[in-house]
Amino acid sequence: MSTLVQTWHIACYEWFDALRSRRALVVLLLYLAAAVCNMHWSINLLHRLESELATALQLPATEQAGVVSTALWKSKPFQRMMKRMTQNDLVLHDITGKHPIELIYAWFAFFYTPLLVVLVAGNRIAEEIGSGAVRYVIFRTSRASWSIGKFIGQMFMIGLALLLSGTSAYIVAKIRLAGSGTPDLFLNMVQWSLRAWIYSIPYLGLAMGLSHLTRSPSKATVMGILAITACFVLSILIRHFTADTGWRAYLPHLGQLLPDAHKMLLWRNAPAPLIAGSATLVTLGFCYLFTGYAFFRTRDV
Amino acid sequence: MDYAIESTELVKRYGARRALDGLTLAVPRYAVLGLIGPNGAGKTTWMMSIAGLLHLHSGTINLLSRGPFDPALHSGRITLLPQDSELPLESRPIDLLTHYGLLQRLTRREAKHAATEMLREVHLGDRLTATVRSLSHGMRKRVMIAQCFIGSPELVLLDEPLSGLDPREAAHMRTFLTRRRGRQTLVISSHNLNDIEAMCDRVAFIEKGRTVRNTTLEEVVGKNSTLVYRVTSEPADYAALTAAVSDATFSFDAETSDLTCRYDPRRFTAEAINRILLPALLAQCDVSTITRGDNLENAYLNQVIGNG
Repeated sequence: MSTLVQTWHIACYEWFDALRSRRALVVLLLYLAAAVCNMHWSINLLHRLESELATALQLPATEQAGVVSTALWKSKPFQRMMKRMTQNDLVLHDITGKHPIELIYAWFAFFYTPLLVVLVAGNRIAEEIGSGAVRYVIFRTSRASWSIGKFIGQMFMIGLALLLSGTSAYIVAKIRLAGSGTPDLFLNMVQWSLRAWIYSIPYLGLAMGLSHLTRSPSKATVMGILAITACFVLSILIRHFTADTGWRAYLPHLGQLLPDAHKMLLWRNAPAPLIAGSATLVTLGFCYLFTGYAFFRTRDV
Repeated sequence: MDYAIESTELVKRYGARRALDGLTLAVPRYAVLGLIGPNGAGKTTWMMSIAGLLHLHSGTINLLSRGPFDPALHSGRITLLPQDSELPLESRPIDLLTHYGLLQRLTRREAKHAATEMLREVHLGDRLTATVRSLSHGMRKRVMIAQCFIGSPELVLLDEPLSGLDPREAAHMRTFLTRRRGRQTLVISSHNLNDIEAMCDRVAFIEKGRTVRNTTLEEVVGKNSTLVYRVTSEPADYAALTAAVSDATFSFDAETSDLTCRYDPRRFTAEAINRILLPALLAQCDVSTITRGDNLENAYLNQVIGNG
């Protein structure tokens, strides 16, 4: 019980410490700015798209974006585009009819969260090992508590960043889009933030797991960026080379070790795939973290 | 004897080099032990191994009669001031020490109270909420010392606690640490032998990863076997002195003008020696002070030179 309490204390302190870290704050602000700009530019694009669609469908022209989003969803080119993006009929079915703003934000959050994770948390453990700050802690608690506590603290930090970015994106949408300032849309945006947060956990585990291997914070960040890039590249390669027979048939099983294979489960509406996907991603996150921790456990600090 | 630390035959290798080469060292409870040795002798390695920061290749450690370091057993009972280790730069001393107190299983109120008290004790009461980044080197060092005493641990390991402190703060810290005598077991590693002499009641000499000597400070400096006379000039007739006290040996340090007389404590007391020797000495020169025992620096250097 006391180990859990100690882990909780470390997690809370890590969160507060991360909030005070200049570097993390700069990255957080940049991420918020990116979310706001992304939403702003996407609304501009949406407005242009809707205007063209309205002309093609001979609907009255609108002054604000978002008015003909239902019509937009019904248009074949848009559906084809979404199908290509999701590569999954079930997901397409689930997201059909959702407000385009939600999808724009969801795409942004899912795409950039891994990068946010590496830049905010990728160096935290290496930084403390390198500076020797860890030496003040690990005679007070176990190394496992320290590692897990830092991980959970950073989970809070990323969660906060995503919630703030979702809220900022919603505010932009409310200002710029007709009739989009509904509480429903806000709740949906928060929901997407939470889904993106769960998706960030394996990447956080990967970045922080790798951070155990070095004393250099910059090396840890570079290792994190390389590892996350490798995850994306591997996912693409696995999708590309998968076949029905031979050794290539086993490639999707290998792909299960990568977060990307479970991402689309978080885009589903039904609770079962959502829970399964969340559980798998959280487990993957802890597995990555513990792989790095296994090295740290036996190393001298 | 009840020991706070019993370390036996410790071996720690870095490649082919043995930082600890079968080091055996026991520290009695409530002792204030000074660790003395040249750079690379293994003092820091020993301390870090005791606190579980380094993994040993062989040897056994028994801390506070509860086996080797285990955070579940020793958390809050053992603390360490590591050498060359920064505190988190964005943290504030009060938050940091409260956090450490919480990890030592104090309640939030106890931890905050202890943190405030300790920071005041080290003269940082006005910098409780400044970031560590904004503190000077000496102030950071005082925060590092303060963190060791949160929650009154039974065993405190201090690696070079006074280095980097200004003379006033160093003197204050010496008093602060000396006040802990008899309440906690302290192990202090330092190259400043005057500090060790002022604070410790035991000393251990470490050389090349081994313990050369581990005994009381009194025995090392010869409180019961040495008298030091500060004289105005070197006595010309040593034969007269030797004739006065048979079996005693004399050495003169021209730099300090100290005449050291070493005698067999089983045969003489310091008072007896003084009664016999002083008239013979005054016949040759003036004596300004008489001290029982040599200083630690001389005693250490004699030991080191004696061992080649």
